[in-house]
Amino acid sequence: MAASAVFPFMAGGAADGTKLPTGALALSDLTASPRFGLKGGGSAAWLTAHGISLPAVNHIGAYHGMRILRLGNEDILLLAEGAGEALAELKAGWANDAGPKGYSSWREEGWAWLRLSGPHAPQSMSRLCALDLRADRFGVDDIAQTRVGHIEAVTFRSQTGFDVLFDVTASVYFARTAAAAARHCTDFLIDTEGHA
Amino acid sequence: MKLLICPMNGPRNIDEFQSFGPVPAEPDPDRTADADWSRHLFRAENRRGIVVEWWRHVPSNYFFLAERDLVTNEVVRTFDPSERRDQS
Repeated sequence: MAASAVFPFMAGGAADGTKLPTGALALSDLTASPRFGLKGGGSAAWLTAHGISLPAVNHIGAYHGMRILRLGNEDILLLAEGAGEALAELKAGWANDAGPKGYSSWREEGWAWLRLSGPHAPQSMSRLCALDLRADRFGVDDIAQTRVGHIEAVTFRSQTGFDVLFDVTASVYFARTAAAAARHCTDFLIDTEGHA
Repeated sequence: MKLLICPMNGPRNIDEFQSFGPVPAEPDPDRTADADWSRHLFRAENRRGIVVEWWRHVPSNYFFLAERDLVTNEVVRTFDPSERRDQS
């Protein structure tokens, strides 16, 4: 996989010229992927009324190919990687509704979305995040709202490693910090997944 | 490392939290003597015992309450604000 550039793209900006690491720890930038956040009173009721079964707080559900992240009672994030049409339909319905329906938390603009993958991804995460994210403690439908690489972040498991969502203005910092953590990883067998 | 138990997110490093100070008393200004009202406005309490404080878990922007012993700095318990509303 070729190294890709980092959001936000702006000539002369902080991210200009930065490449994401590849190799034993690879970062890929999903910031351009469709997503939609709702927050505030009425958010949960509106989504439920439109057929979405909401998971418990800090858990992940699914609806029409989208992942439904419950970040709080009234703070919900819809990730539509590969399900852009279903999300566009839902967003159009939300925009045309007079309410009460919560308000958009602008996660598609405010947050970067990076994916850690590769054989060193679990080891790198254990260096970046203080929480125990081993597979027997942190399942596929769990969400951790915590600090990753010293910045506030939302993280959860993906098929290839971990996805991390955080303030988009810190994307270059995060890419460099993850790459630095990966340099300290070893190929010796380290039990980061809780296997006996 | 100091740990605090967030009612929503579980045990976390203390540096993930922000303190917002004690839950203020809410005396009725019409039924409170001037001296007591003045004391309420301008003087900070400095007593021993358990205080109920507002705290925020920063990464999830979740506000909750904690009962803390002012002498030992031990956090007795943390709980969702809805529990307090239910009591009153």
